[in-house]
Amino acid sequence: MDRRHFLRVTAAAGAGLLVSGTASCATSASSGPVTQAAGTATIQSNLSAPAAKAAIDALVKAFNDKKGAQASVNTVASETFRTQLPSYLTSANPPDLFTWYPGALLKGYEEKGLLLDISDVWQTMGDYPQSFKTLSGKVFVPTTYYWWGFFYRKSNFAKWGVTPPKTWTEFVELCKTLQGKGVIPLGMGAGSDSPWTASSWFDYFNIRVNGAGFHRELLAGKQKFDDPKVKAIFTPWREVLPYTDPNGTAIGFQEATTAMLQGRTGMLLTGAFFADAAPKDAIDDIDFFRFPIIDPNVPLAEEGPTDGFFASAKSPHVKELKEFLTYAATAEGQEAYIKASSGTVLPTHPNAKDSGTPLVTKGRQHLKEAAEITQFFNRDSSDALQPTADAALVKFLQQPDQLDTILTTWQKAAEQVWSS
Amino acid sequence: MSGSTSSGRVFHAVAGTISVLWLLPIVAVLVTAVRSFDDIAANGLASLPQSFTFAGFADAWTNGGAGAMWNSVLVTVPTVFLSLALSAAAAYALSRFEIPGRRSIILLMLAGNLLPPQILLVPVSKLTELLGIYDTLFALIVVQVGFGLGFYTFVLQGFMRAMPNEVQEAATIDGAGPVQIFWRIVLPMTRPALAALAALAFTWIFNDLLWAITVLRSSAVMPVTPALLALQGQYVSNWNVIAAGSVIAAIPTVAVFLRFQRHFISGLAVGAVK
Repeated sequence: MDRRHFLRVTAAAGAGLLVSGTASCATSASSGPVTQAAGTATIQSNLSAPAAKAAIDALVKAFNDKKGAQASVNTVASETFRTQLPSYLTSANPPDLFTWYPGALLKGYEEKGLLLDISDVWQTMGDYPQSFKTLSGKVFVPTTYYWWGFFYRKSNFAKWGVTPPKTWTEFVELCKTLQGKGVIPLGMGAGSDSPWTASSWFDYFNIRVNGAGFHRELLAGKQKFDDPKVKAIFTPWREVLPYTDPNGTAIGFQEATTAMLQGRTGMLLTGAFFADAAPKDAIDDIDFFRFPIIDPNVPLAEEGPTDGFFASAKSPHVKELKEFLTYAATAEGQEAYIKASSGTVLPTHPNAKDSGTPLVTKGRQHLKEAAEITQFFNRDSSDALQPTADAALVKFLQQPDQLDTILTTWQKAAEQVWSS
Repeated sequence: MSGSTSSGRVFHAVAGTISVLWLLPIVAVLVTAVRSFDDIAANGLASLPQSFTFAGFADAWTNGGAGAMWNSVLVTVPTVFLSLALSAAAAYALSRFEIPGRRSIILLMLAGNLLPPQILLVPVSKLTELLGIYDTLFALIVVQVGFGLGFYTFVLQGFMRAMPNEVQEAATIDGAGPVQIFWRIVLPMTRPALAALAALAFTWIFNDLLWAITVLRSSAVMPVTPALLALQGQYVSNWNVIAAGSVIAAIPTVAVFLRFQRHFISGLAVGAVK
């Protein structure tokens, strides 16, 4: 092969590559977006955990099998979803439905006119308690919720010869006993990517000592974080700090669950989603108890974060999406969802059956007994306020003697969030 | 003699330790990938494995891994060809011809590359929407080509400028026009640099996450990196599936690097000497 020939071949190959390049480029363009077929409501979902993804897929399948309007799910990573939600909503052609939770963020979008008024779906939801209605406003349909508590292994408590406490004194006593047996009584898991777990402690101390009303006012900016009433809740917290995992701000939530399952820590204050992180054979061994009562005069409040759907105001599929929301609000739809999930979520429909395990039955009862339900720190306030809580509470766990400075700094940081 | 062997031993001990430390994260990912979820949940990520299964790989592949891999190929291959073809043409013009203000043009292209992509996210996302290509792989290709051009052109024009003028003059005397010179002489001589850049570009584009989540929304068109991210749950992640997915996602880039390794090193060396 002479040089000229070689060059010609190379040039031809180069041109060939160019052509194939543009050709495959054209094909990929046609394989582009999921076409928004007429009559199909698209659901942008942040339920990327395998169990939760299976659940929403089951709900949509049950809906589609009814041969009415159709829906399709589009799952993205929850972190991607959280950061991209504003651009999804303001885009020219947004998805029709979104998985989310009620709260300040949703209110903000509602005020900007980005959300669809779905009050007529609520017309079909007459059985729902007023509390869900108040929570949701005109733009949100709640489908599931879950509870928080101190989770522990029954076999471990039996082995250590201890029983779940009711009052604060019993709780401190239990911690003391466990520590005497060489077990770290309280897990935390506020390190790594889950500093928000510390907020559950803050929420609970605040609703136990100051009540849910004050808690909501505080999170809405009507009270101050350096208020003496807020400072007071850290007194019982300090009392149990010696019993808290010294690695509490180093290891993340998932590792903290492993430590509790292995019996290295005695119990963990966490939400029912915790069951997703437990191996299947351990689930029957798991039980929980209520965050102990500190002041019996304060009405009982519990954290019961609610999840569900909202719709975009720009959606061209209003009829279809309302049909889907109506179905998602029925007992049938919620049972389809729960059956395919890991089973620890509760249906919002009062007559829908939950998964029926003793744990879930107890969890549902646990929330029924509460006079007030709070959502969680970020849901009752905003995702922007959450980092200020993370910074303050992690610092408190590490340097509890700095409390005054921490609270002043927290208030300053919070004011910046509220004023922006 | 004895002194040099003992220093040799110290060198090997230090270098060996560093290599082991360097490889540890990769070993950890490989080990995690073949464990079962129940094992990880019960014993923790850091414990010794007590299970061996390829279920993680199967999960990752069926949970959107296969489609995402194909999407990545559909984006990466055209992007690499397009951006190298365009920047080779630009570099040829900028390096072999007296274009007025060519220094400024090159600096401007390079300056574009120095802008942090984060500040361009919102404009790019809005622009793709205006053009009606938002949420298509085509949009991702356009964006990737656009952002790659500056750097590739800069590297290639440096390489082409170093070619002896005599070659071009000889071709001109033989009657070759600018296009023929480009096709028959400059481009073939740039092969090492093109191969090296192709390997680099492939890795960058294949591993990109930021642009993908900026211009795409549907899971059906997501390439492999956001799909990997989507394996993470809101509260709980199946680390074995994520580790297995990462191993699968690393295979194409490793393969490309192994294939182009020779060109890559010689390409760098040629650039360095001249």
